[in-house]
Amino acid sequence: MWRFLRKRLLQLALVLFLLSVVTFGLMKLAPGDPVLQLLRIDQVVVTQAEEAALRNQLGFDRPLLAQFGDWLLGIVQLDLGTSLLQKRPVWDVLIDRLPTTLLLAAGGLLVTLLLAVPLAFLAARYPGRWPDHLSRLLALVGSSIPSFWMGLLLMYLFAYQLNWLPTMGQGGLSHLILPSLTLGLSMAALYARLLRAGLLESLSQEYIRAARARGLAERRILTKHALRGALLPVITVFGMSTGHVLAGTVVVESLFGWPGLGSMAIEAILQRDFPVIQGYVLLTGTTIVLINMLVDLSYGWLDPRIRYGKGGLS
Amino acid sequence: MIKSRSTRLLATLVVGTAVLLAGCSSSAPEATDSQANKHLTLLYHFKSGTLDPHNDWVALRAGVVETLVRLDDQLQLKPWLATEWSTTDNIRWTFTIRDNITFQDGTKLDAAAVKASFERGIRVSKTLANSLKIASLEANGQQLTLVTTQPHPSLPSELVNPYAAVVSVAAEQKMGSDAFNQAPVGTGPFQVTKFAPNAEIALKRYDNYWDGAAKLDTLTFKFNEDGNVRALGLQTKEADIATQLPPESIAPIQADPALKIESIPSLRVHFLLFNHQKPSMQDINVRRAINALLNRESIAKDVMLGNATPANGPFSTRLPFSSKDAVPALNLNEAKQRLTAAGYEAGADGKWVKNGQPLTLELITYKGRPELPLIAQLLQSDAAKIGLTLNIKTVENVDTYLRENRDWDLVTYSNLAAPRGDGGYFLNSALMPGGALNAANFTSPQLSEVVQRLNATSDLAQRVAVTQEAVRVIKEEVPHAYTVYPNLIIGVNKRITNWQPGSEEYYIITNKLDVK
Repeated sequence: MWRFLRKRLLQLALVLFLLSVVTFGLMKLAPGDPVLQLLRIDQVVVTQAEEAALRNQLGFDRPLLAQFGDWLLGIVQLDLGTSLLQKRPVWDVLIDRLPTTLLLAAGGLLVTLLLAVPLAFLAARYPGRWPDHLSRLLALVGSSIPSFWMGLLLMYLFAYQLNWLPTMGQGGLSHLILPSLTLGLSMAALYARLLRAGLLESLSQEYIRAARARGLAERRILTKHALRGALLPVITVFGMSTGHVLAGTVVVESLFGWPGLGSMAIEAILQRDFPVIQGYVLLTGTTIVLINMLVDLSYGWLDPRIRYGKGGLS
Repeated sequence: MIKSRSTRLLATLVVGTAVLLAGCSSSAPEATDSQANKHLTLLYHFKSGTLDPHNDWVALRAGVVETLVRLDDQLQLKPWLATEWSTTDNIRWTFTIRDNITFQDGTKLDAAAVKASFERGIRVSKTLANSLKIASLEANGQQLTLVTTQPHPSLPSELVNPYAAVVSVAAEQKMGSDAFNQAPVGTGPFQVTKFAPNAEIALKRYDNYWDGAAKLDTLTFKFNEDGNVRALGLQTKEADIATQLPPESIAPIQADPALKIESIPSLRVHFLLFNHQKPSMQDINVRRAINALLNRESIAKDVMLGNATPANGPFSTRLPFSSKDAVPALNLNEAKQRLTAAGYEAGADGKWVKNGQPLTLELITYKGRPELPLIAQLLQSDAAKIGLTLNIKTVENVDTYLRENRDWDLVTYSNLAAPRGDGGYFLNSALMPGGALNAANFTSPQLSEVVQRLNATSDLAQRVAVTQEAVRVIKEEVPHAYTVYPNLIIGVNKRITNWQPGSEEYYIITNKLDVK
């Protein structure tokens, strides 16, 4: 167990290092820097000489390796640097936005669970019958509508036509429903299909036949015996889609006016606020790697065959 | 009954996330008693992460802070926190600060407070420091003496800049800078009650406002960067005013009897920027030929759905120094004549050739403003009618592209031409050698002479006259081809009274603004 953790943490460090090299390289290769924004050339008279002076002052004309070295030196001292445009520590900028994104991700996840689990159970209990068809239809619709369009449709229906919910902003629970639905619907579609497939596969296993032979109720077989095996692929995909959730909030955040990490990242990229982009990549990278580590750990807990090294799903 | 581990896991996840959500989003319902409390919600298209008045314009737009000088609805300079100002040499200025004004923290506005505010602004904003060029400040009662580092005739116009807003530095010292930047204290009709960065500002009336307390009790200034959502917010009546709506949302809003659209000319101009480093573009006849190929009428009517005015110079028709001449129409014959005058000949295939070299131009465009690529396409098709080939190239970051590449010929571009109702900004930035917006380093001795004369003129009427002179030279030399002045499209609920959007986009929230 400890050896596993140690190995994983080493991998984490390596992944993050490579990630930062790549992002730093890409951002520096992409044209543009924040100098014009900082000087606000669209509002006051600025000369090209002033531009060049600021570029020099910020060190953008120094060799790339020296710029990267400086930044890396900060990172090993747990200093992410200072935002060029907001002039605040990058860590503070990230921490300000994190709760908003987490709240949205939690809302999306709740919608996903509430929709995907019942749909999958129904579909697996009655394969080929109407609940199955319904879940397939919903899955198709959910995964094929892009979230910016889904968001606008939901707003049009629930806010404009029915006037039940607010279109945007933060406040009570009512403000959370539409963004969560937008985020959750597309994920629910995927998970419902995945869980259904897993359940059907589990149901065809020997131990299920044994359970049926012992005369257990079908519902109990489904929820107790089949579900556990079926959860493995779902948890795996969940781990892999954490990145998708963090990134997928970008569209939802800008639609519903939620100032979260995603919209911050887009702003930082457009303004070429290099330290903020780097900080964001490191934060999301760490989160994704850690969650995948938890997912790996959960396999043993869910499937005793893995824990005891007796084969099973791997 | 939950029996297995896996169902327990699922149940824990569901309950856990639900608890998390409930915990994170507990908040009291908004008070919306319209009888007792006059409230308004505004949806703004550009979000702000700070309310620091010296680094972001939103504090002035939201009616929290004010400047010494402002623009009136004719875009002329007008006293605001200063009642009058004078100078004899354009270096030593005296401003009389309006008496009987208190900041929202109760402290008195005098020359010393204005001095402290300018000193703070210059410390935290390089932009403000560069534009004011202050050498020293002296306060005496309500009299502020300001000395600039060089003759600075456009100082009153620079003081209109929202970054030059006057804040209570005493309040900042009491609150600390971080808290102050979340809830700045100024002299405006509204004070900040709560600020959620990049989401919204909650404001309430400042009862002792010097120009008469505001009609509204409270106000929400919300940010949303999606144009369709802003339009929907107006239609659901969640918002009373929504700025910068997409042209396609106009029809459904006009269909609602409770709503109306205001489409007013902005101070921005869309134009073609020529690369004056290329020999072909240095020929004025080639520039004139392209100028004649612009179908400004169609750009305003078809590309921008009527929400633009055809342009005949850099400055919008609303400005006193704009050109009064007729707008040039699409003229294929003139374009052909100009190309012939430039020494080009139509070859056998109808393409223009000079010394065996075909004339093919690279036209750069970018998607930052959705209409610009369409303008490029229209120009391309009209140019093709006379056998002139334009190759369109769409780039991501236009300013960097123009700086780092030399192979482009012309570019669809857009600038605010008179941000403070004064032409000096555009003439100096875009048409003087070394200006930050002069990507192709256009240099004209004649124009430079006029602009330098403008830079030394402080009398307002004279500034207008000299700017008009510059506009005439521009028309003669065609450094750019001006296309259209885009409109500002604003959706308004008809329950709003005493409110008109302004071209300058500064004074959005006022004490007069009211609701029925």
